Amino acid sequence: MQPRTKGIAAAATGTTVGLAGLLIMAMPADAGLEPELPELSATELVEAALSAEAPSFEGTVAVNNELGLPALPGLGLADAESARVYHDSDKGARISLQRGSTEFTAVHGPDGAWTYDSSANTATRYPHADQVRDLTRQRGEFSDPASAAAEIIDVLSESSTITIDGTARVADRDAYELVLTPKPSERTLLREVTVAIDAATKLPLRVEVMPNGSPEPVVSAGFTEFAVGAQPDELFEFTPPKDADVSTADPDKAREALPKHADPAQALDDVGEALGEPLAVTGSGWDTVLTGTVPEDAFAGAAEHLNELSGRNSAPENATMNLLSRFGERFTDGEVSGFEFTTRAGTGVVTDDGRFAVGAVPRQVLIEALEQQ
Amino acid sequence: MTMTTAPVTGEWRLTKARVALPRLLWAELRWIFRRPRTLVVLGLLAVIPVIIGIALSFADGGPTGDADPPVFVTAASSALALPIGALTVLLGLLLPLTVTKAAGDALAGEQANGTLRGWLLAPVGKGRLLLVKAFGVAVVGLVAAGLVGTTGFLTGLISNGTDGLFTLSGTTLPLLDALGRVAIAVGWVTVQLWALGAVALAISACTEHPMLVLATVLGGVIVSQVLLVFESLDWLHPFLLPASWDALINLVRDPIWWDGLGEGVLRAACYLAIGLSLAYARLVTSDG
Repeated sequence: MQPRTKGIAAAATGTTVGLAGLLIMAMPADAGLEPELPELSATELVEAALSAEAPSFEGTVAVNNELGLPALPGLGLADAESARVYHDSDKGARISLQRGSTEFTAVHGPDGAWTYDSSANTATRYPHADQVRDLTRQRGEFSDPASAAAEIIDVLSESSTITIDGTARVADRDAYELVLTPKPSERTLLREVTVAIDAATKLPLRVEVMPNGSPEPVVSAGFTEFAVGAQPDELFEFTPPKDADVSTADPDKAREALPKHADPAQALDDVGEALGEPLAVTGSGWDTVLTGTVPEDAFAGAAEHLNELSGRNSAPENATMNLLSRFGERFTDGEVSGFEFTTRAGTGVVTDDGRFAVGAVPRQVLIEALEQQ
Repeated sequence: MTMTTAPVTGEWRLTKARVALPRLLWAELRWIFRRPRTLVVLGLLAVIPVIIGIALSFADGGPTGDADPPVFVTAASSALALPIGALTVLLGLLLPLTVTKAAGDALAGEQANGTLRGWLLAPVGKGRLLLVKAFGVAVVGLVAAGLVGTTGFLTGLISNGTDGLFTLSGTTLPLLDALGRVAIAVGWVTVQLWALGAVALAISACTEHPMLVLATVLGGVIVSQVLLVFESLDWLHPFLLPASWDALINLVRDPIWWDGLGEGVLRAACYLAIGLSLAYARLVTSDG
């Protein structure tokens, strides 16, 4: 029976070690205890966060989007992303957004600014460096939690009650949890926004947007790795690769493409880009509503795709109607009628006369905003 | 070369009294690499990156349709992305098939031929037997991944030249750096294949039907890949070996994103421990 015992012992040991290893890997990181940090008032923390100079750092960012947007074919909306951010106070910044097996890179260095999109092998040069900073902010709004959070705090502080709700471990660093709750006068579908602020650098490390009636955040973006330290020079240099399509951005056009008030949802950026015209903003703070006009061919791509899928070749107008009724719900509210789209964090309407409105608010507020226009 | 080679090589081992380990390992390798089916699969693996490379260079340059893996947009003009893209695609099925087949032949196949008994008649301990068999499977994995990496890299260099070694981040790499990355990719894929090979050996020790090994392991690989698609099962994903196979593409980024790659090696190590220990247990407890 000796070899039998030996065999069973070997099987038990090896399997236990292997399974234990897999279990450890499956455990969420940062599940540790709440760190002890010196007391700080919410106002002090907000001021420190808004005035914090980003140190030189390298970080990995994970973005989780649980908006519950309908999956529109042909419109690459709101896919989960991860990103890598490098920042050096003296040299520049660099963000790489990962989308499946492609990458969008923005480099801002001493000799200018570049973006590179691997899915099309195109490189764009920005003669004016400050433009690329805008561009990185727009493309990376929720990929760089630090700048996104600072912006959110800035926009929402007037209309929110701000408190500190204990501490947390984020990206293996000690952080304060800052909570922004809408004031009772705000008509929003959101419950609160929490921002984890690094205790040492006062840089926001994580943003979570919480909806009413659910403990799961609708959008969260945070560093999973964050290391302070000087970055090598070559990260901020860029030479377009062989065979790449190289173009120089037109300074005027580059500005136009950037919506002034980008909403947290990546979707809105894409919509703004597709529209090519600025969106109108009604209200402020939590119940901000964006309104605009739907361009005639806005849904053409998606409608065409649906046509292909269904094998039918309906006229473009019909296809658009099909698409709207497929994902939206018909409504009539006083003078206004159209389709309503609900997500976990907000509402959008497309009216029959071709206008649209979106916001983290109930439908009624959207209609009011449309009537004001 | 005929199919009768395998039983014959099994027989001469009977006459050896005390066999040194290097000789056993060498004999095992000769036995594996003389089989026509091993050579056919390896040849196929070596040719596929060349086919991909040729197809891409005739594909009219620009971005291709939605159906193509987007890495091949980069591979069409970067000699670096071709071998790593080819490894990623082949890791989906053909590379696991190669290793699993080798593991199936190693124990189950020999059991079926009756040649496994020959090993045990010659004074070769069961631990040693597993060591020799695992070594054989490991070499098959390394050779398979190495062939894909080599022919992929050479094809890329021929069609795009040495100045076209650029990453997904748009940076161009020196030749040595790129070579190092392809080597890391080959090594990483090999480790994943070893993990599959270990599991396949464990099953191989339990049966005398090599086809059963093939069906079980490849079935497992395919089912895992399907399960990985469902977000509602994300609690299960860290336990599935293919969970980190997407990370291979991170070697084409600059700087390399190591997170997923490191996790992949750890996961493979866990599978390796489970597979080898179960295979050993089965060999030791079985009669004969």
